[in-house]
Amino acid sequence: MDVRPEPADAGSDIFDSSLNLEDAHFREGYADGHRHGVAAGREEGRQVGLKTGFETGEELGFYRGCVGVWGSAIRADPTRYSARVQKSVRTMEALLDGYPTMEPEDERVQEMMGHLRLKFRAVCASLGAKLENRGYLKGVDNKDVEF
Amino acid sequence: MESHDGAWSLKEVQKLEGHTDRVWSVAWNPAAGVAGVPAMLASCSGDKTVRVWEQNPSSSSWFCKAVLDETHTRTVRSCAWSPSGKLLATGSFDATTAIWENVGGDFECVSTLEGHENEVKSVCWNASGSLLATCGRDRSVWIWEVLPGNEFECASVLQGHTQDVKMVQWHPTMDILFSCSYDNTIKIWAEDGDDDWHCVQTLSEANGDDLTIKVWETDSAKMMSGDGYVPWSHVCTLSGYHDRTIFSVHWSREGIIASGAADDAIRFFVESKDGSVDGPSYKMILRNEKAHDMDVNSVRWSHGENRFLASASDDGTVKIWELVPVI
Repeated sequence: MDVRPEPADAGSDIFDSSLNLEDAHFREGYADGHRHGVAAGREEGRQVGLKTGFETGEELGFYRGCVGVWGSAIRADPTRYSARVQKSVRTMEALLDGYPTMEPEDERVQEMMGHLRLKFRAVCASLGAKLENRGYLKGVDNKDVEF
Repeated sequence: MESHDGAWSLKEVQKLEGHTDRVWSVAWNPAAGVAGVPAMLASCSGDKTVRVWEQNPSSSSWFCKAVLDETHTRTVRSCAWSPSGKLLATGSFDATTAIWENVGGDFECVSTLEGHENEVKSVCWNASGSLLATCGRDRSVWIWEVLPGNEFECASVLQGHTQDVKMVQWHPTMDILFSCSYDNTIKIWAEDGDDDWHCVQTLSEANGDDLTIKVWETDSAKMMSGDGYVPWSHVCTLSGYHDRTIFSVHWSREGIIASGAADDAIRFFVESKDGSVDGPSYKMILRNEKAHDMDVNSVRWSHGENRFLASASDDGTVKIWELVPVI
């Protein structure tokens, strides 16, 4: 910390150095905080991304499994399943095929997942099946989960 | 309606007792009370049961014909007869909707519809009886299709409301569904062919409260002629008549609006033929102050060519009334 006064020039006065000191400290502190913030934010974002990615993949996988079983059952005995249920299962298949897993920022993801969830509930209700994606993370204390 | 400009009075025909907790809702059987078939009424309660009441044709007095119990495990909040009168749907806080069949006077639970995540608040059949709508606290509206053999299939799960959905009601002639919610909106749902139901209009009134009745209208003829959807618009507000929450309103065949409210009263309104105001206006023709000992939860006009009204209350009773003109 240099307390010697700055050389005088046009437009400066004896108080300039004190004012510049404050300014210099401000800028140093800001840069420090920014550096730490970027690092912490990046790490936190990574954790959130991993968690969300896991949950999304898990949910899609769950529907894949259900649709796989339902599809097989329908192929084995199509007369036992109404046209509506068969169509709903095909719709779910199309949504799962078209889900942009590699583009999380694609704005369709919310709508598609919502559509999948509603179709899933409707098919379960029609079949009388009590299925639920319990999920690996549900009921687990978030502090204990780390990726 | 034959306009009777004089006074009206509400005659208490009978008080039906039996439920051991508040009665939430009543429903007249649309196929009964005509052609020699004795009139029939269903009521549902916080006591987890549904009671079916029938009118004795010779004595004209009502008795409890059946108690539908040991099915719902929580409050039964809503009940509705199918248009044929053969099926009764009951919606419960236990998250299920039970379907009962009237087999020669005996009622049997023939199906249980599961799907809602929590309390079912309202059930309603469409005009042809081919569809049943349910709604509940999980903010969703479900449309079920009735298949042969009392099988039910879920045709659609409708999301859109952001809070509890309190009631669903079908249009009396078109397959258009209305739902209202704690999110202060009424949503109108229609089908775009093949199970594709979506919200075609949302009615929201920024200054709505639970002390007013609002009337909306559309051009039905134009809608039914297939010219596409004609939006509903708000045409009238009845305010200043209620100082406690209105829980139920029902329009009679003649256009008399009955309301049941938290102040234990039942009120009646008719369109006033002043003609001086833009659009319809209504006036109150009668207020029955102590209709019940507690909140009136539901008022329903009978389907027949009469002025019979049923009401359900927190006091655990159902009452049958007749609105008569005073000459």
